[in-house]
Amino acid sequence: MEVKLLSEHYHHDDFREISGYQKRGGYEALKMALKKKPQEIIDEVKNSGLRGRGGAGFPTGIKWGFLPKNGEPRYLLCNADEGEPGTFKDRVILERAPHQLIEGMIISAFAIGSHKSYIYIRGEYVKSRKILEKAIKEAYAQGFLGENILGSGFKHDLDVYSGAGAYICGEETALISSLEGKKGQPTLKPPFPAIEGYLQKPTIINNVESLASVTLISRIGSQAYRKYGTEKSPGTKLFSVSGNVCKPGTYEVPLGYPLMDLINVECGGLRTGRSLKAVIPGGSSAPVLTAEEAQKAFLTYESMAELKTMLGSGAVIVIDDSNCMVDLLHVLTHFYHHESCGQCTPCREGTGWLNKLCGTLMSGQGRLQDIELMDQVARNMMGRTICALSDAAAGPVISFVSKFRSEFEFFVREGRSKIKGGPHAQMHH
Amino acid sequence: MLKCTINGKQYAVPEGASIIEAFKLAGESLAHYCWHPALSVAGVCRMCMVSIEGNPRLQIACNTMVTEGMVISNQSHAVKDSVKWVLDFHLINHPLDCPICDQAGECGLQDQYMMFGKYTPEMAMPKQRKRKVVSLGDRVVLDSERCILCSRCVRFTEEITKTHELGIFHRGDRSEIGTFNDRPLNNNYSLNTVDICPVGALTSKKFRFRQRVWFLKEKKSICPGCCTGCNIKVSYNSKGVFRVKPDCNPDVNGYWMCDEGRDLCEKTQSVDRLLKGMSKYGEEKWQEGPALKFAKQACDDLSALPSSSVALVLTAQHTCEEFEALIQSFKSKFKSKKVYYWVNRPEDFHKFDGLLLRGDRNPNTVGLLQILEREGFKSTWSELLSDLSSGATQGVIVAAPEFPSFYPDFSEKLYELSRAKVLTCLTSRPIKDRELLPGQRWLIPLKSFLEKEGTFINYRGVQQKLGTPLELVPDAMTLSDFARILSGDWLERQVEPLGSQNVINEFMKTPMRGL
Repeated sequence: MEVKLLSEHYHHDDFREISGYQKRGGYEALKMALKKKPQEIIDEVKNSGLRGRGGAGFPTGIKWGFLPKNGEPRYLLCNADEGEPGTFKDRVILERAPHQLIEGMIISAFAIGSHKSYIYIRGEYVKSRKILEKAIKEAYAQGFLGENILGSGFKHDLDVYSGAGAYICGEETALISSLEGKKGQPTLKPPFPAIEGYLQKPTIINNVESLASVTLISRIGSQAYRKYGTEKSPGTKLFSVSGNVCKPGTYEVPLGYPLMDLINVECGGLRTGRSLKAVIPGGSSAPVLTAEEAQKAFLTYESMAELKTMLGSGAVIVIDDSNCMVDLLHVLTHFYHHESCGQCTPCREGTGWLNKLCGTLMSGQGRLQDIELMDQVARNMMGRTICALSDAAAGPVISFVSKFRSEFEFFVREGRSKIKGGPHAQMHH
Repeated sequence: MLKCTINGKQYAVPEGASIIEAFKLAGESLAHYCWHPALSVAGVCRMCMVSIEGNPRLQIACNTMVTEGMVISNQSHAVKDSVKWVLDFHLINHPLDCPICDQAGECGLQDQYMMFGKYTPEMAMPKQRKRKVVSLGDRVVLDSERCILCSRCVRFTEEITKTHELGIFHRGDRSEIGTFNDRPLNNNYSLNTVDICPVGALTSKKFRFRQRVWFLKEKKSICPGCCTGCNIKVSYNSKGVFRVKPDCNPDVNGYWMCDEGRDLCEKTQSVDRLLKGMSKYGEEKWQEGPALKFAKQACDDLSALPSSSVALVLTAQHTCEEFEALIQSFKSKFKSKKVYYWVNRPEDFHKFDGLLLRGDRNPNTVGLLQILEREGFKSTWSELLSDLSSGATQGVIVAAPEFPSFYPDFSEKLYELSRAKVLTCLTSRPIKDRELLPGQRWLIPLKSFLEKEGTFINYRGVQQKLGTPLELVPDAMTLSDFARILSGDWLERQVEPLGSQNVINEFMKTPMRGL
């Protein structure tokens, strides 16, 4: 069942303004936090077990712990480059509750001792950026940002930086390169950003939802937060559900919630007369689940790992039996081909190769060995590059081909889609 | 030192070495394209994958440091299969037309392609098309389709010249190297990008498609363009000198050399050279003749003068051995202390472009000064001029600079010296204004730096040998040869006609590959 912890007040239109936000307890958590020691906040976040909501699911508190323990200047970056196909939950936070994010960022910055932070926002999020910029102005006016915040002596400045629409800039090191004014390309790790990041200084990069959750955890405490979710995946999370459901949208449910319940209860199930074919559970990079596997899936990091896929950013793409999987995969290969930064050879060439192979199948010119070749190409793109985009591009190919092989073979044999009515995926990115 | 095992053999490598450096030290082969010892690590070509015991994933050797006791291999099936796949990725959009590529024969990609036998393209679909002939600047041409985007050239302009002309534009497999609109690749080190390009993407405008590299021989030498003394490799064959590349010497020039230096070496070809001896008595016409005969006659003319009235003028563009021989023989012959030298633009001597090129455009200033100091010659140029006016000096031997273009006052000085009754000018270049020279004149052709053995001492005292000599102008001689003639040893040397140079003979004897 939907549990609104983070999104409790999102339905109020004035929640995005500072007056409406403060009326509902906004910035109280900050006032409490500024009276604590930074380490107490870090411990609280560690105890909450909050896992990064951007996709990788790395525990936020532990990430903060990687920072060097000295007085070196450091940066906090908010990753609002929400570009994973199917994901639109950060946008809800940015547009409905910008102050929740800002408050979370000030608390986090106080905890890690940073005096300057940036929100790196996706280039296409123009409306979100305007709302965010207005909110930051309001926060400055109220003394929540700037010099000597609320008389605590803590100083913090916050800026918004708009990306130019590149998916790769959601990758931490590419985001840093882009923010530094360079071409948005990932860099070799080590050095990790926590040691040498933005402007060669220690840098923490957190997802929008992670930082907004810091506000929540600071307000209700880690114990209350841990009441929801499972041992390994505590708390609640926003899920953006798209595809063939009656009520697509963003829903907050506790982690551990069954995937099918999210689809059938929250999202009103599939359209009449349709049956479930597949679910991509965590954004386009996550390997696809068959309808059968989806029945067994719970919305936790560990359950998804068991099914050899990812909870990722929480973008659930529901695919019913009106979709052709070859066509769907072509949409995905096209996306990754378009977005590969082109640095590492396997990804640069592999994404194009996969897209061409998929296109050949779609044109009816494919050969049976092309299906095998797609699988081989994808497998040899994995783990061979600087960042994870190559793996993200390969994952769907391997899972689509292995789990829906008959559809691919049908396309080769008959030169047309197995699905009557022609192939038209209901996916947009 | 760290102990490690590479392909089953034990090695010790210095702390902080990467695996690829360890492979280099161990002499084990490891294919790589983006890594270059003088540039930062990019880690993008993915060819240098190795397996490390205890690590389930293959790692790239360029970005992984060696740790104590590490067991590394690039011979396992897993590594070879992965490398084969990376090679496939490199090749799917790369034109497989090696025979018409200028890099063929010295291409890293071709070597691996042959080794793995990837003769048929893996990808059945059309390749990505890109621009084929892009002029990046005055000297460099880009073929984008051949480019494997290793980013060496981009890193070179960022890290070495810091001129930032090059960048990678677009994304994914549409990526292309390019320059910004108004900033072509025209820095004085631009041809180094051609040298470090592992494939045939960047080519030199002067060299491209002029020679197949397997018809070229290589000779090591020292660049005579300035007092840095960059180590160079000269590619030549019977048709002449075609290309000059830097030869790595960490103590002198590292991996680089400047473009100006490369141009100089081309000026050793016969079109720019004085090929025969020349002479003129009074108002007669200039006559051409064999250098040796003319040199002997010139020496006789000089000997006929009162012995203390002969002067020797040196420039710092010859080898130490030549200075030594000429000075000794001059001393014993004329009992004269009139040894002078003249340098080009001494006010520029301490200029430095920050990388290699120095203001002193003589390769052997240090060597010349050392010898003059040892011999105690302190005469000044004004003494020479006043002696010439007074008639105290009547004969002059000039060892003219090999590259008069660095001596803006060359003609002027030569004119000043031509007040002497007998002027013997040893030069490797034709003298432009030679009609102006009055009196009794001898021009003796000199060898260029490629044609002689000897030593240059660079600005910080590093002695460097010129290497095995070529023969480009058979009639030319060295200053040492002239010294022997001066001291009366007739040089019994059979001068062969131009067409039968050693180079050609040797070249013709070698059977062509595949025949």
